[in-house]
Amino acid sequence: MAAPMELSCWGGDWGLPSLHPESLTVMAYAKFSGAPLTVNTINKSWRAPKGDVPVLIAADIVISQPAKILNFLRKQKYNADYELSAKQGADTLAYIALLEEKLLPALLHTFWVEAENYCSVTKPWFASRIPFPLSLYLPGKMSREALNRILLTRGGPPPYSLTEVEAQIYRDAKECLNLLSKRLGTSQFLFGDRPTTLDAFVFGFLAPIYKVCFPRVQLQEHLKQLPNLCRFCDDILTCYFRLTVSGHSPAGQDTADANLQKLTQLVNKESNLIEKMDDNLRKSPQHPPRKLTMLKLAAGGEESSPLNRLSP
Amino acid sequence: TAAEPWPENAVLYQQLKEEQILLSDNASSLAVQAFLQMCSLPIRVVCRANAEYMSPSGKLPFIHVGNQVVSELGPIVQFVKAKGHSLSDGLDEVQKAEMKAYMELVNNMLLTAELYLQWCDDVTVEEITHPRYGSPYPWPLNRILSYQKQWEVRRKMKAIGWAGKTLEQVLEDVDQCCQALSQRLGTQPYFFNKQPTELDALVFGHLFTILTTQLTTDELSEKVKNYSNLTAFCRRIEQQYFEGHDKDSSATVAARSAKRSLLR
Repeated sequence: MAAPMELSCWGGDWGLPSLHPESLTVMAYAKFSGAPLTVNTINKSWRAPKGDVPVLIAADIVISQPAKILNFLRKQKYNADYELSAKQGADTLAYIALLEEKLLPALLHTFWVEAENYCSVTKPWFASRIPFPLSLYLPGKMSREALNRILLTRGGPPPYSLTEVEAQIYRDAKECLNLLSKRLGTSQFLFGDRPTTLDAFVFGFLAPIYKVCFPRVQLQEHLKQLPNLCRFCDDILTCYFRLTVSGHSPAGQDTADANLQKLTQLVNKESNLIEKMDDNLRKSPQHPPRKLTMLKLAAGGEESSPLNRLSP
Repeated sequence: TAAEPWPENAVLYQQLKEEQILLSDNASSLAVQAFLQMCSLPIRVVCRANAEYMSPSGKLPFIHVGNQVVSELGPIVQFVKAKGHSLSDGLDEVQKAEMKAYMELVNNMLLTAELYLQWCDDVTVEEITHPRYGSPYPWPLNRILSYQKQWEVRRKMKAIGWAGKTLEQVLEDVDQCCQALSQRLGTQPYFFNKQPTELDALVFGHLFTILTTQLTTDELSEKVKNYSNLTAFCRRIEQQYFEGHDKDSSATVAARSAKRSLLR
């Protein structure tokens, strides 16, 4: 518990702390259990990721898969599941298996195999966060691994039909989403009103489907027809990640600054307009000069120029 | 064709019981047989050396019903449902979701562990798998076929991240899975209390096979034996659905030895 813990994982966009389901799962669990993690997102200047991401580094220990990382956190007394009964613990394992078998293939397909999605969104996003020249090779490798995994676990013996396999995995994924929606019902989290390991896994898998804007979005459209699952993701994002639920702007902080700038300029324009209007009013004979108003105006006039200088 | 009733001459194909069939395929075959028994649908088991190649998906077992061929438990359950027989109709939506989740748990952990043990544990591969898998064929075909299959399975293990696991870790996973199943079953006779469902059939198929198959070590069956409600569950289903039926049933003959009684 004393040693500081660092998590290195893929970064986020579209309002998510991370695009990568496994990284997102670990980050969510850390928030739920109150584990103090420093998150280092992989960017160009950092050392190249070797294989498994996310990776937790605590003192000298390096742990790499989500299940193992969560186990480690639990041993360090960051346990989000201590209120669960034995049966609920069993249910957790079962539902995680369901996610991996039925939802993950379609998720991998949407991100890494669907040609339009991969070329226009996934590859450029990941390549921009991997140092050259690895950026030329690593996204392609991840894509091949995803296709491999889908075919080996779901494809039949050759000759298989890729379109049939694709149709089947999306059918399974939609059914899985329906099952999750029924299981969640109207509760806030899957086991009542406290988030647990299972919530972290479900969030990790659902949030990328929900938020990332792809050209081909059949899975996202299906998910949006299940409002309780969307509400589940949004709740976790706002409560645990302090991210506003905005749809489509990447690099949220920059747009916030730009918005602030625009707002300031608008305020300035308005105050100039008001000044002019009041000048006209003062010049007209019907209105005797009102000293108070003039003072306010003068103050307003002085204020607007510092405001001009304040814009970042 | 979905409207046709279940014929009397439905057949289930699997590999040769005594010499060829492996742990994982035996488990899957037994699961399907248990499911059909629970639905009271008659089925005849036929053993063929080339069953794997006869199957439309390459996976076993498969059933031949009327003029249709369906393989693997999932599609068979749906096929049977289309004919009007179902074990899970009485469940509500949340229970159905749970049932499907637990079935995936068995596939994800137990079946994968069986495959790992058969094809990635060198001792088991040498002593049991290679001799059995290629037994119907002359040399060198028997060696070639079993190496080919081994390569395929290892590729799959690598893709899902199991290639780096040690045998101890795999046995740990089996233990975790059995613990989850045991906790879910509790003191009930079946997973959804009074009536068996396809989940019971699947769990029975795997656990019974693990308990009654003699491998190079007893470690796998010991993991299951740690949970007494699971062994009682297997005994109950064996007694109710398999004893007194024809001697061809896989449940009455173990894969390697005649060690079939659970009452040790």
